[in-house]
Order: sequence, then structure tokens, then C-alpha cells
Amino acid sequence: MHDHMSYCNRCMYPAVAVNLSVDDEGICSSCRVAEEFEKLTPEFWEKRRLRFEKTIEEIRKTNKSDYDCLIPVSGGKDSYFQTHMMAAEYGLKPLLVTYHGNNYLPEGDFNRDHMRHAFDADHLVFGPSVEVLKKLNRLCFRKMGDMNWHAHCGIMTYPIQIAIKFKIPLMMWGETAWDISGMYEPDDFVEFSARMRHEHALRGYEWYDMLNDPQEPLREKDLSWAKYPSDEEILSVGVRGLYIGNFFKWDPNQHSRMVQEKYGWKAADRPFERTYRTMSNLDDRYENGVHDLLKFIKFGYGRASDHASKDIRTGYMDRARGIEMVRKHDHVVSQDLYYWLNYVSMSEDEFWATADRFRDPRVWWIEDGQWWKDNIWGQASAYGSVHLPKESWQKYFRR
Amino acid sequence: MKKKRLIPVLLLRNGWLVQSKQFKRYQNLGNPVSAVKRLSEWASDELIYLDITRDNSYDMRRDDLGHPNRHSILDIIDDVSKVAFMPITVGGRIRTLQDIEQRLALGADKISLNTAAIDNPQFVEAAAREFGSQCIVVSIDVRLDGEAYRVVTKGTSQVTDHTPEDWAGRVEQLGAGEVLVNSVDRDGMKNGYDLDLLDRVARRVRIPVIACGGVGDWEHLADALEQTDVDAVAAANIFHYSDQSVYLAKKYLHERGLNVRPADLLAI
Repeated sequence: MHDHMSYCNRCMYPAVAVNLSVDDEGICSSCRVAEEFEKLTPEFWEKRRLRFEKTIEEIRKTNKSDYDCLIPVSGGKDSYFQTHMMAAEYGLKPLLVTYHGNNYLPEGDFNRDHMRHAFDADHLVFGPSVEVLKKLNRLCFRKMGDMNWHAHCGIMTYPIQIAIKFKIPLMMWGETAWDISGMYEPDDFVEFSARMRHEHALRGYEWYDMLNDPQEPLREKDLSWAKYPSDEEILSVGVRGLYIGNFFKWDPNQHSRMVQEKYGWKAADRPFERTYRTMSNLDDRYENGVHDLLKFIKFGYGRASDHASKDIRTGYMDRARGIEMVRKHDHVVSQDLYYWLNYVSMSEDEFWATADRFRDPRVWWIEDGQWWKDNIWGQASAYGSVHLPKESWQKYFRR
Repeated sequence: MKKKRLIPVLLLRNGWLVQSKQFKRYQNLGNPVSAVKRLSEWASDELIYLDITRDNSYDMRRDDLGHPNRHSILDIIDDVSKVAFMPITVGGRIRTLQDIEQRLALGADKISLNTAAIDNPQFVEAAAREFGSQCIVVSIDVRLDGEAYRVVTKGTSQVTDHTPEDWAGRVEQLGAGEVLVNSVDRDGMKNGYDLDLLDRVARRVRIPVIACGGVGDWEHLADALEQTDVDAVAAANIFHYSDQSVYLAKKYLHERGLNVRPADLLAI
């Protein structure tokens, strides 16, 4: 067990961040991979482009569908970039597929519905029953401290179901996971996989883990959209999911400028409470809000740490400014908490009592009835009162 | 004729499944069990599961996941053997006959020795006598030292005087049932096996040789089967880059006319 929070010497990530490993020089795997990416030259990206063209040509040879590819989209800036590449740059006919988890912000609604105006593309939007979604929100919050499990699951499952139904062998995903935790490198050409989906997006839970809950009764037929297809079905169409970020330089700041200018995509018109960025996660009101607050509650870092780390790696921000952003935003209890509590009819007391069950003792300790943690600026501070029953405080005592 | 085998290798480090580059760079990929289930479903011939943890800590650092966060290698092996529908070789940090016995009792079919064999060659003999040669694999990590191949151990921190072929010959005499030959220089580099190294070892011994280190393309698996006398081709990182990877690799080798089992899927 770690005694204190330790941080990457370069970005904002604590060593406890998901999947991260910190090397002997104190630099995290995300920064190392980003370093590799920064070294890449225009010639390199030119070779990548050729490889991309060859690969999609190869896959398209087996295509028995009228659609050239399927693009899973939320309507965010990345969705626009993916669709821009496939439809505008390559002149392909994509089928856009959206999982609608009923969490959209108004700007996100506009951006999503604007896609088939902006591109020559058909668009399929699927949303589960809102009753089912409310049950899943509450159930998964209590089970794993994440009300948005349904969204991770829907986004990673529904598109491949449709790829098989429409016999489309090519799914075009966006960014690779390298930026998040440095799991893979450019040369790995990692593809979309059931294992990544199951372990990292779905946290090791599947639809069948959601059945038989006495508080939130759900039936198998409520969750058909959450079932991952079998290997036989996938191989019968030959579905592969490529990440466009493996082939074209991924620069979210630049992409959002481009899609605003070219396609009328809209950023949020007011800032979020938990991050300084206005261009990320508009498809989900909780992603920058209470969903992310739970990450802070669990692991002691939040969306501002994520965004500042990325912006430090791409040179948009220095470390001092990053720390300032983390200080300002990481811990904020955002207003969407009350929107969510109202949506799922839960009391604030139940929220805090449940959330506190997920505090990681590697990060948090209890002193004077308060939650304490070490900060990246080198001091410990308290972040609110403890809502756990006294008998479970023991594992959080340090001295 | 006996089929050639295709064997995925999983590397476990501090409780994480990792990918490795030249024995010095490690990237955490995920939990140590769900990959095993997938490799089973893709009908892998065997599995080699190596624990390369340096200290004694096994921790995925979070407890909010659907799969358990185990804190000991034996608990992990127990979980692994429940989803492995293929023979498993377990290696790493094995020092005593009791270590071997515990792993076999938990469902390992074979065990692999590396440092313990170098430190005390008689241990290979004792292990083979106790459990049978068929269950003792000796793993041989090799690095090019100028022009000469040298066996290295304890990660790569100890360079021995052994050449890989002499060392393989020696452990064969001591009763090892198979050798796993891995090139440190090729590890994670995707530039193909060190075919010269494999050839040297495969010519020297009569026991099966398993090739490892450097596969970046299915073609590299074929190169070793076509150009050397190895009995099995193993690889680690590449099987994590795409779904149905073992199936697709086997399909490639089979279609190329190599003597491997046809690609298959298991419903588990």
C-alpha cells in the first residue's frame, strides 16, 4: 500500500490513477507515451496515412453492406473529426450510430442532431427506456460508485451489434487509449477489443450482473442492447474496430477549432464547474460533473487533472498553471449532482453515505471526522465530513 | 505427425497483466484473469503464465471493479486455472519443490524455472525427479553480448557465462522436459524472432524448444516454424492488440500449410 499520494513529475496524475505506472525517473506511462507521439514527424504521419488507406481498403473488400463503415458517435468534437475524415476526406458513406443515455446537455443535443445536416451520412440513434436507465443509474452507483456504467456499456456495445446486423466490417473509433494511461504505443496498432470493453469501460461488470437486484428489478429483455456479440458473430462479418488516432495526429484543441469553423459544431456556452475546458464531454451532463466527482471521491483526482495533464503533454499549458486548475476545480461538488438526485429520486444523504463507501484508503484518511488527502502542491487538506458509520472508519486511520 | 503449437504468453507484474519491451519497459494492460478467458475461447494450444513481479506486491490499486483485486500469486493462479481450458505453464519466483507443488495443486500443468535453475542446476534434477520431466520447463532468457549469445537471469541483471545452446543441453541432461527460449533484445520489438538463436538451441537438444521474443506479425510465427526446428511458437504482446488474435494467427499459419491445429473457437 502507498503511504502517501505520489504524483508524476511532469503531469497532474497521481500514481494511483487507473492503469498508470510510474517509472524510476518519476515520469508516468501516459507522459512517456505522449513523448513517443510528440517525436513523430510529418513523414511518419504520411506513412500512417498510407497504412490507413491500405487497411480500410483491405477491410472494405470484404464489405457486403451499403455502408462503407460504421462510426460510433456521441456528437462531440471527436465524432465530428472522425466523420470529417471518413465522409469528407475519403468520400465514404458511413452509418453514424449513437447510444443515447438520456444525459445530453442542450449543446450536446444540437451537435448530435446536427451531424446529418453537416455530413452526407445516415444516423441511427438508440436510447434505452428511461425507466431502465434510472434503475441502472441508481444500481450502478450503489454497486460500483458509477451512475454512468450504462453509458460506457451502451457506447461500447450497441455499435458492434449494429455492425453485425448491417454486416459492416469496419468500425471507426476515435482516440486510442494511450493518452489515458499509456497502455499502448503508436506501433502497437491496438484495435477495439472485447477485453478492453469489459475490463476498462465496463469495469468487469456485464448485463447479467445487473439482474436480480431487489431494489432495482431489471429483466434480461431490458438489457438486450448491453449484450456483446459472440466471436462467431463478429468473425462471420469480420468486424474490426480501428482507432483513427493511430493513423492521424490527435490534437483535441485543434480538432475542436476545425469542427467549429467547418461544421458549426458548438462548444459549451458556459464553463463547467469541474474543469476549465468547454469542449469536452458535452454529450453527457455528468461526465464533467457528478460522474467525475466520484472519481475524485474514489481516487483523489478529477477532470481538471485529466484535462490539464493532456494539455501539459501537448504543450497547451505549463505545470504551474495545471496545478492552479487542479486546485480550483478538482474537488468541486457541481450543481448537476442535484439534477441527478432529482432524476433518480435519491436523497443527498444517501448519495454521500454511498459515495463514501468507495473512498480508496490508498488516498484518503480520516482525521477529526474529515476526509484528508495529500495534494499535488505538497500539502494535505480536508475535503468534507465523513458520512460512513463509525465502525467502518478503522481502515482510514493513519496514525 | 505431431502438431506444432501456438502458445500465448501472459506476463504478470505486481498483479497486473503487462506488456513488456526489452525487459525494461512495462505497460499495465489490465487484470490478470480476463485475458486468460479470451485466450481459452480462441482455443489456444497452451498458455504460459509468467510472474515477473520484482517485489512481493500484487495490487491493482482499486477495489471497485467487477473482478477481485488479488494480493498473492497463488490466489491469482487459482483464479486463472478456473478459466483456462488449455494446459498452463506457470513460471516466476519458483524456488522450492513446495512452490512447484502449490502451483500444480492449483491447476498448473507445468511449471517453468529460470533463476532457480541457474542458481542451483541440481534443482532442475530434483524437480524433474519429483514431478516428472513432462512438467518442468526451463525458461532461458538470452541477450546478445557483442557477437556472443549469453544467458541472462534475474530479469537481466545477471549475465551468466552460459551460451544458450550449452545451457539448454545441460538442463536437458538434468531432466528438463522443454525449454522456452526468449530473446531479450527482441522482446517487444516486433522485428521477428532471433532465428539464429532458435536454430542453435533447436539443433542442440532433443526436447521441445518453444520460441519467444519479437513477434510483430503473424508471418514471424511462420518464419520460425519454416526455418528452424522449434516445436512451438510463443508470443506475448501481439495477442493483446486485437480481438480473436490467437484464432487469426492460427488461421494464418494453417492456411499457409503449416502443421498446426486448424483455427477454432470454444464456447465457454
